[in-house]
Amino acid sequence: MTLFTQSALALSLSISLAFGANVAQAESLAIINATVHTATEQGVLNNATVVIENGTIAAINPNNPKTDSVIDAKGAILTPGFIAAMNDMGLVEVGAVATSRDARDKEADIGFDPSFAFNPLASTITFARKGGITRNIVTSGGGESIFAGQTFVVDLSGDFDSVIANNTGLYVELGATDEGSRATGMQQLIHQLEDTQKTLTKTQKANKSDKDDSDEPSREDSIISAVLAGDIPLIVAVDRASDIIHLIKLKQDFELDLIIVNGADAVLVAEPLAQANIPVVIDAMRNLPESFDSLHNSLENAGKLAKAGVKVAIALPGDSHSVYALRYSAGNAVANGMDYNDALAALTANIADIFHLDSGRIAVGKPADLVLWSGDPFEFSTRIEKMWIAGEEQSLHSRQDELRDRYLKKTDMPAAYR
Amino acid sequence: MAKRMPALVAVALSAAIVGCSPAEQQDPQVTINVNPYPSTYQVLPNSTTLLKNAIVLTGTGERLEDADVLIKDGKISAVGLQLVADGAVVVDAKGKWITPGIIDVHSHLGVYPSPNAESHNDGNEMTNPVTAEVWAEHSVWPQDPGFNRAREGGITTLQILPGSANLIGGRGVTLKNVPAATMQAMKFPQAPYGLKMACGENPKNLYGSRNELPMTRMGNMAGYRTAFIQATEYKRAWDKYDADYAAGKNPVAPERDLMKDTLKGVLEGDILIHNHCYKAEEIAMMIDLGKEFGYHAGTFHHAVEAYKIADLLAENRNCAAMWPDWWGFKLEAYDMVLENVAMVDAIKNSCAIVHSDSGVTIQRLNQETAKIMHAANDNGFELTEQHVIGWITSNAAKSLGIDDKTGSLEPGKNADVVIWNTNPFSVYAQAEKVFIDGAKVYDRQDPAYQAQSDFMLGQQ
Repeated sequence: MTLFTQSALALSLSISLAFGANVAQAESLAIINATVHTATEQGVLNNATVVIENGTIAAINPNNPKTDSVIDAKGAILTPGFIAAMNDMGLVEVGAVATSRDARDKEADIGFDPSFAFNPLASTITFARKGGITRNIVTSGGGESIFAGQTFVVDLSGDFDSVIANNTGLYVELGATDEGSRATGMQQLIHQLEDTQKTLTKTQKANKSDKDDSDEPSREDSIISAVLAGDIPLIVAVDRASDIIHLIKLKQDFELDLIIVNGADAVLVAEPLAQANIPVVIDAMRNLPESFDSLHNSLENAGKLAKAGVKVAIALPGDSHSVYALRYSAGNAVANGMDYNDALAALTANIADIFHLDSGRIAVGKPADLVLWSGDPFEFSTRIEKMWIAGEEQSLHSRQDELRDRYLKKTDMPAAYR
Repeated sequence: MAKRMPALVAVALSAAIVGCSPAEQQDPQVTINVNPYPSTYQVLPNSTTLLKNAIVLTGTGERLEDADVLIKDGKISAVGLQLVADGAVVVDAKGKWITPGIIDVHSHLGVYPSPNAESHNDGNEMTNPVTAEVWAEHSVWPQDPGFNRAREGGITTLQILPGSANLIGGRGVTLKNVPAATMQAMKFPQAPYGLKMACGENPKNLYGSRNELPMTRMGNMAGYRTAFIQATEYKRAWDKYDADYAAGKNPVAPERDLMKDTLKGVLEGDILIHNHCYKAEEIAMMIDLGKEFGYHAGTFHHAVEAYKIADLLAENRNCAAMWPDWWGFKLEAYDMVLENVAMVDAIKNSCAIVHSDSGVTIQRLNQETAKIMHAANDNGFELTEQHVIGWITSNAAKSLGIDDKTGSLEPGKNADVVIWNTNPFSVYAQAEKVFIDGAKVYDRQDPAYQAQSDFMLGQQ
């Protein structure tokens, strides 16, 4: 899995060889007596056993599990690791320190791939793990174009190979604008799709007629063509219902894989969204009419959209410093009418489906991204007992813990010596 | 210019009188009206109300099971077991929790309202590093829909502050969270004014970028000190004028200065300091600044590093108002710990507060408190609900100088009360009923008690 794991593996391998033990067993773990929220059609499994082998979920409730180690959950809740989305994790250490910021770029456009700036050692990542978050869809903060750039997927191991995939989606920001008209942005998007489609058709014709002098598609056209082919989603941040309506039509015209982010007014067009199979990634805590685009923000929106048949994911878009609190957003959504299982899916299975991740469910063959909780995962009184990313147990210790412990200690010497 | 006229006229007059009369005749004494925009707040319709059989957190550290709260004439009349009251409206609160009304010491509702628009961005007079002459109350838009959302989260009292771009940003105002057409009708009667000050990055970055003082933290300190030197001289001039007048002389009144009026109010202890100040070393200097000029340094807001100097804060009787988990947006907010409030609170004579500075989190200060309580209890603290409720009620009231009026469920206090559907420190908790001065101002089950702003009315 990782540089560190590899060396740890090598170590355990040599020890195992020395003692003649089965190497495969050293990799396996059974979590027994867990209350497993699978986020699948299986629902909740009581007193269940989940077997992890080689980083994946190898078995659920096998008859006679033989694993290298066993953890007795004693009835505690096991969920898939939560998946955060549409934030700048690993791209910004301190918001106001220019040299620690890589999420935005004035020149950011279709081709902007911020994964090249990702820092797996960012302090935001260790802190986010405290919220049970195991993966994240990182996004650019954009620049001057409506095209903010590409999204990429990371795990929260903090390892140097934690970027799982880059160029996983094209992120576009539409709607209200400080200068000019929103029409321009919408037209730019439509024209870009049309123009690339024409170019592709021409290229195809040229290829058929065996003319080798045709130009290679530009980098931008390659990305747009992946969008047009439905290989990567078009992720659009937008709030107002009239804009969403245009996008629903756009999806139909170009057969796009379209994701709406924010969607303050999505409740007004929930039915057409559900019919068009367009998911919504929502900040469930938004309930102020922040602008004339978002007069319909409400704590009830996440639940209402889910009930209307829209696939809903809950996110804390933008700044990544407090993404750990994602689970509390889900709890608040439940308090305001969302079905509990819908809220759990909104942090796991739904978000995985929306962004085409293979995680987000507890099912055989899935990556072993798991969290064992002391209680209801949405409650403040609940803490994480254990957490795994691809089967590897994670530390929940952060810089914040070091600071707390240093100042709780009382010694004769200055804190700097503690 | 017009404001100077009376003083000039007075000078001319007194010169004339002195010129023609041996016995000194006194002109009318010049005084400053300290309350020119007085509260017109009226308690909303209310009746004697008995809340029955709840778990009651008094805000004074007590927790009562199966207890009753009696509200009479807008005040808490009694808190105890099996209370009776003839003719009272009885509310069965079995299984529910009752707390004092929640108080936020740091809000910009009304001055940075929703929707966010240039037309309503009235929270920060960013034209001079010292703008003690501006009053946040003059910017409050009472129709900000955020007031209603905050009330639905149990907020009964809140202080509206100017922003933090300036070293001295102007006066804050304490409001009762009642829907009203005017700011005066929300104004908390007899609440002292606050003065917003700001340490650190914001002032030095803004004015530094304009090549003006302050460009550095030492520039910040020079700016406060210069202002308080002027204020000290101003106060001395007025004190001398008042003393001379009292001695039967006919002195010339000092020239009125709106900026120095406010700072003089600070020096006289009538206006309380609310200082946006993140870092330990800056807080320590601001405490000494107060001592240098003879005023109390008040409450430190956004005190992300308060845990590093918890002893110093308690020793000097300074409150610290904090978030649970805001960090990393600026370098001065880098050293956040989730247990900050608990660590400040753990010292004797401390005054730890949870504040919002946000139209969103002001709706859930109970949840913000819950984050801290549980993080701390996971790390060796033994905090209880009845204790931590004080961080958003009684301690907040103390910071605002209104703890003799609200912030706890004690007989004689204003009946600012919240009934919660469950433990207020659960993520599923919701305020069900909210009372201000004994008047029901919110009821989750009754649309007749769900106020909406004019702005939201008829929006499609």
